[in-house]
Parts: sequence; structure tokens; C-alpha cells
Amino acid sequence: MSTWKESWRQTRVEVLQRDYLPGWYATRGRRRLIASAVVLSLALLWADVAVSWAGAPSDGADLSDFALLALTLIIYLPAVSLLNIATRGVVELSERDLDERQVGERLRTVAIAHRLTTGILAAVFVMALALGVALGREYSIPGDAFFALALALALTHFVLPLVVSGWRLPDPPGDED
Amino acid sequence: MSAEDVYNRISVLRAERGISRKDLATALGVHYQTIGYLERGEYSPSLFLAMRIAEYFEVPLEVVFSLKPFPRLGSGQAG
Repeated sequence: MSTWKESWRQTRVEVLQRDYLPGWYATRGRRRLIASAVVLSLALLWADVAVSWAGAPSDGADLSDFALLALTLIIYLPAVSLLNIATRGVVELSERDLDERQVGERLRTVAIAHRLTTGILAAVFVMALALGVALGREYSIPGDAFFALALALALTHFVLPLVVSGWRLPDPPGDED
Repeated sequence: MSAEDVYNRISVLRAERGISRKDLATALGVHYQTIGYLERGEYSPSLFLAMRIAEYFEVPLEVVFSLKPFPRLGSGQAG
């Protein structure tokens, strides 16, 4: 069991050190563009929460739901992959595969992402409170909307450190040899 | 990642010895980009890493790192 785990760990480390489409993340501007694309995919996910809430239950809401989720995936998957490669797995890899500089960068990144997630959770709490006051205690969240909200929160929490890391990363030193 | 005014001569020592960034990184067990950031002054190493770098080049720590800019070669100042 430990052999395949070790092999998988080694493979992840190696893959994240290779360059795939290096021109796409070569400069800070381009990396920030990719980070913005990830943020856009998250925004679509949150939009899906609103659509699911407002439209459920209906075929129209289901169709919009599906379209938003599909669009989210189309943007999210390649953007996150590129950001992971651009940051050399600073967020993705385990600490024992990182050197001291990378560990320090990861700690700063996670601290910033934690503050951002706290703000998002606070905003969700305030909205839930406001809705509760406006609509009364008898109101309940549609099941689809609850699922969409859970997914949006989980994915936001999961990917925010990577977005922060990609946003902050300075241009790496050029390969001289 | 600011180095906050810690100067180093890693690139000079590497050039003298014909050592690439990747070779040095492999010897020290760090990512090769970390060597680049060190040389650019965008990262300050821990004491442990600084001492390992000095040990690798077989020079005292103060030959590699300084809180003041190193004098230019040939300027006649001690360094």
C-alpha cells in the first residue's frame, strides 16, 4: 500500500515541475488572468445558487443550473490545472515536498485565503439572517439551492489558497542554464 | 518574499565554480527557483539554509551573505 502511495506522491511532484503551455502563465499579468478565470468560475457557481434558489423547482431552473455548472467546469478545470503548474504545487503538494521558501509562501497564502473565506462566510450568514427576518421562520431553503450553496462554499474554500498563490506569485527567475 | 536588505554573492560563487542553479538546488535539497529568488534578493534564507550554502561553497558565512552591499570587484575595498 505504501509503495503506490509513495509512487503517486512522486508522480505528483514530478508533474507539477514540468511546464505545460508555459507561455500561458509566463508573466504575472497572465497568471493573474488565470486566477481571475478561476474567480469567474466561482462567481458562476454562486450565481447558480441564486438561480437554484429563485427558480426552484422548475425545468427552467434545472436547465440554467446545468448550464451554469457546465460552464463553471469548462473554465475551472483548465484554469486550476494551469495555476497549480504555475505555482509549482505550492498549495497542492504536501509540506515534505516543498522547500522552506515554498512552505513560507504556502503559510502566507493560506492565511490570506482564510481571511477571505471568513469574509465570505460572514456575508452568507448575514444574508441568511436577513432572509430569515424578511421571509419569516417558516421559510425553508429549496433542496437544490442548499446543494448548490454547499458546493459553492466548499469549492471556494478549497480553491481560494490557489487563487491567492497565483495572484501573488512574482515572475520566477529565468532559466539561465 | 522581500529579503529586507540581505545581500549575497551566490551567483558569483556559482560562476567561479561553474555550478548551475539546478546543481546547487539539488545539492541543497531546495527548488531551483528558490536559488534564483535568493540571488535576486527576493528571498532571505533561514540560518540553516544560509549555513548550508556557505558549507557547500566551503567559505565562511560572511563571504556569502552580508547586511551591506558587497563592494564591486576591483574597487579596492575589503570584501
